[in-house]
Amino acid sequence: MKFNSWYLSSFLISCFVLIPIITVFTSFFESTSNYYEILKNTFLIEYILNSVTLLFSVLLLTFIFGTGTAYLVSFYKFPGSNFFKWALILSFAVPPYIYAYSLTAFFENYGTAFTILKNLFGDANYNKSIPKFDGMLGAILSISFSLFAYVYILARASFLYQSQNLIDLGKNLGFSKFKSFYKVILPSARPAIVAGLSLVAMETLAEFGAVDFFSINTLTTGIYNSWIYFDDLAFANRISFFLLLFIFSLFILENLSRRKAKYHLNSGGGFKQKEKIKLFGMEAFSAFMFCFIIFFISFLFPLSQMLYWTLKFPENLFNLQIVNLFFNTLYLVTLSSFVLLFFSLISNYGNRVSKNKILNFLSTLSISGYAIPGVILAIAFITFIAWFDNSIVKSLGFTSIKKIFIGSILGLVLVYFIRFYSLAFNGIKSGYEKINISVDESAYLLGYSKRKTFMNIHIPFLRNSLLFIIILISLEIIRELPITLILRPFNFETFATTAYISASEDLLEAAAVPSLFLILIASLFIIFTSKHILRETNE
Amino acid sequence: MNNFFELKNVDFNVGGKTKVKNVSFSIENEGDIICLLGPSGVGKTTILRTIAGLQKINKGSIKLKGKTLSSEKTIVEPENRNISLAFQENSLFPHYTIKKNISLGAERNKSKKDQKVSLEDLINILDINKILDKFPHEISAGEAQRASLARSLVTQPDLLLLDEPLSNVDQSFKEEIQEKLKKILKNSKITTIIVTHDSYEAFYLGSKCGIILNQELKQFDDPYKVYHLPNSIEVVNFLNRGTLIPAEVTSPKSLENKDLGTITGNFIKHFPIGSKVKLLVQPEDLHHDDKSNLKFEVVDRKFRGTNFIYTLKTPSNSLIPVFVHSHHIHQHEVDEKFGIKRPIHIDHIVCF
Repeated sequence: MKFNSWYLSSFLISCFVLIPIITVFTSFFESTSNYYEILKNTFLIEYILNSVTLLFSVLLLTFIFGTGTAYLVSFYKFPGSNFFKWALILSFAVPPYIYAYSLTAFFENYGTAFTILKNLFGDANYNKSIPKFDGMLGAILSISFSLFAYVYILARASFLYQSQNLIDLGKNLGFSKFKSFYKVILPSARPAIVAGLSLVAMETLAEFGAVDFFSINTLTTGIYNSWIYFDDLAFANRISFFLLLFIFSLFILENLSRRKAKYHLNSGGGFKQKEKIKLFGMEAFSAFMFCFIIFFISFLFPLSQMLYWTLKFPENLFNLQIVNLFFNTLYLVTLSSFVLLFFSLISNYGNRVSKNKILNFLSTLSISGYAIPGVILAIAFITFIAWFDNSIVKSLGFTSIKKIFIGSILGLVLVYFIRFYSLAFNGIKSGYEKINISVDESAYLLGYSKRKTFMNIHIPFLRNSLLFIIILISLEIIRELPITLILRPFNFETFATTAYISASEDLLEAAAVPSLFLILIASLFIIFTSKHILRETNE
Repeated sequence: MNNFFELKNVDFNVGGKTKVKNVSFSIENEGDIICLLGPSGVGKTTILRTIAGLQKINKGSIKLKGKTLSSEKTIVEPENRNISLAFQENSLFPHYTIKKNISLGAERNKSKKDQKVSLEDLINILDINKILDKFPHEISAGEAQRASLARSLVTQPDLLLLDEPLSNVDQSFKEEIQEKLKKILKNSKITTIIVTHDSYEAFYLGSKCGIILNQELKQFDDPYKVYHLPNSIEVVNFLNRGTLIPAEVTSPKSLENKDLGTITGNFIKHFPIGSKVKLLVQPEDLHHDDKSNLKFEVVDRKFRGTNFIYTLKTPSNSLIPVFVHSHHIHQHEVDEKFGIKRPIHIDHIVCF
């Protein structure tokens, strides 16, 4: 019963997803060009220091923004609290690189801030008094405002599940609101917050667009540069190896904290729904302002900036083939979602019915794809295809298969598959966790085969989860940059790549139109699913 | 003659560990009901799951209607066994209404010409009319258990397995459901194995009872014998209704206890004269008599509705239970003296 076709399919899918990780680890021992020696003696320490500075600054800011807003909307009633509850998630619609464009566009010399001051107060040299958010600071702000929602969503879910009893306990001990927050509420939500911060950490280390735009040399940009400019795949893989080790440590930390999180969720008799405290006067105003400022800076600001430039330079709107970009993005989203869902379903069900420890281990390992930066995945994929082509395909006398996989939609979708597999797999898995195994067994005992149980019992049950996963995947693919940039076919552009190319050519105004469309489409997806996101994380 | 169902020398395993060893029992006739009793975690559910085909066996064989379902080499998949198992926990399909859940069970038997149980009757008998349009998460645990029972019954299986079928049903409703369940099973001639830890439920429903203790099937007999003629000290301790006191066999029909004196009766098992034994004294074995000069101190009194169970302490510190009808003219308080009628005669003497 264990080694059936479900087991085999599940096994193969997990192995496929593991290809890039194995490639990176095996490439570590290959010889590299002189670039490695040069870099080792010059910039490697800088790469590492920059990555660490970026990481810890972003973690601090996302913690403050995410936990602060989550605490306010979960425990208090104040003007706009219901609106902020879901509106704060909209920051997800703005990827860090678009945020970086907005930040630069607004604060640069003769930028939007300058224009506003000039219109308000007349001609003067305002450039000196306008602060500049570029370089490391710009990168930190861009990433923090774009990613704090991870912490917000998970912290909020945890706060919502804190029982009134816990809060009453704080009051009973004579704690002030602030003391209750850091003595009772915060420690109890710690695992959820750590889980959110781990996601932020992984995304930060993987971030390419924003750090590249601000010319910050991090390990991720180092990987990209060693491949693009020095054509040294082995070295790119060598840096990837170190980055992967670092990311895996975070991944383990995150997994450990999640396991612990289970103990912090109240269920059953001990849970007492808490009543939100209504704030008045200055307190209500301060709470409103804190949430509004975060919402404004993280979402309204980049949206307005992109909208302003689109309206100011309308010719860019007409130069761009919006319909074409839209259909390209849609094509990638549809194809990838279908492939991801199809195989993740099979893999999950295979795991469920075979209950095999090796398979379970492989699946756990394979979902780490999400923790691996897109740049590494894309390069590892190219390395693997090149090796496979040279060592196997050509030696057997067949024609090269490189063109089929590199610079093609197929290759792009396959790497998206590896990158977002954990999203689909875990989404379906959490849906499956709600189906008690005795439900499957009841179906078998009613005469249902495994296939019929899958089709007639599981799929209808998972319908809502599947819809939610499709939207999450779509959101990720719309925003995705490095994989698309590296693996896309010639002349095949999406909103993300068009924005990046314009920005890297210093044509920020031209980057505004695709960025605006990207934000709008992503916002629509978020608005459609915000209720679901908030509900899912509450369960 | 072939048994309807037969289990021979089976080891039951969970996660590679043996839960219950070398179990053999059979159900002779179609329509018989048997009950398996044992404490929690002893492996009763494992036995049912294995019979249903959800778990494999490495030793022994399981046969139904003469066909081998499980053995070292054979495993008929659960979907091909026509065995139905009603799980203890809620195993209803969460995204379907109760009505749909039950109708999925009915689909299995729609090709059968001989409909033993009507769906409408089941719904009425199990009193689930009001919850038919609800989803599993909207009903109570007891209602879910009854709905699950209905779904299992309506499949008209060759063998029905019920895992603690009434554990979540309200006490007030339990006896009524037990009666109805027994009636349905008997009328529809559905062969059933029920697992429970409630001895009264087992004694009422089963024509035979199996007692599982310490990884073994200790006794498999009709309920009267299991209760009155337990075959081991473990079974006595599990049923927890009697006490074992030291005694010496003085003749083929009597024995002597230091505190109770001479006890007469029929030995179930032969012991040579002079043997030192442990005598089982059940609450019904001794009778109260205020006029008797054999008096012991009351150390506890349990009110059980129809009766009281007094616990008496003898001079040699044995604790003996005595059954007294609750309409008995007066009650005895703790620390009071309590008289035992003499001469003491126990119809069947159980010694170890």
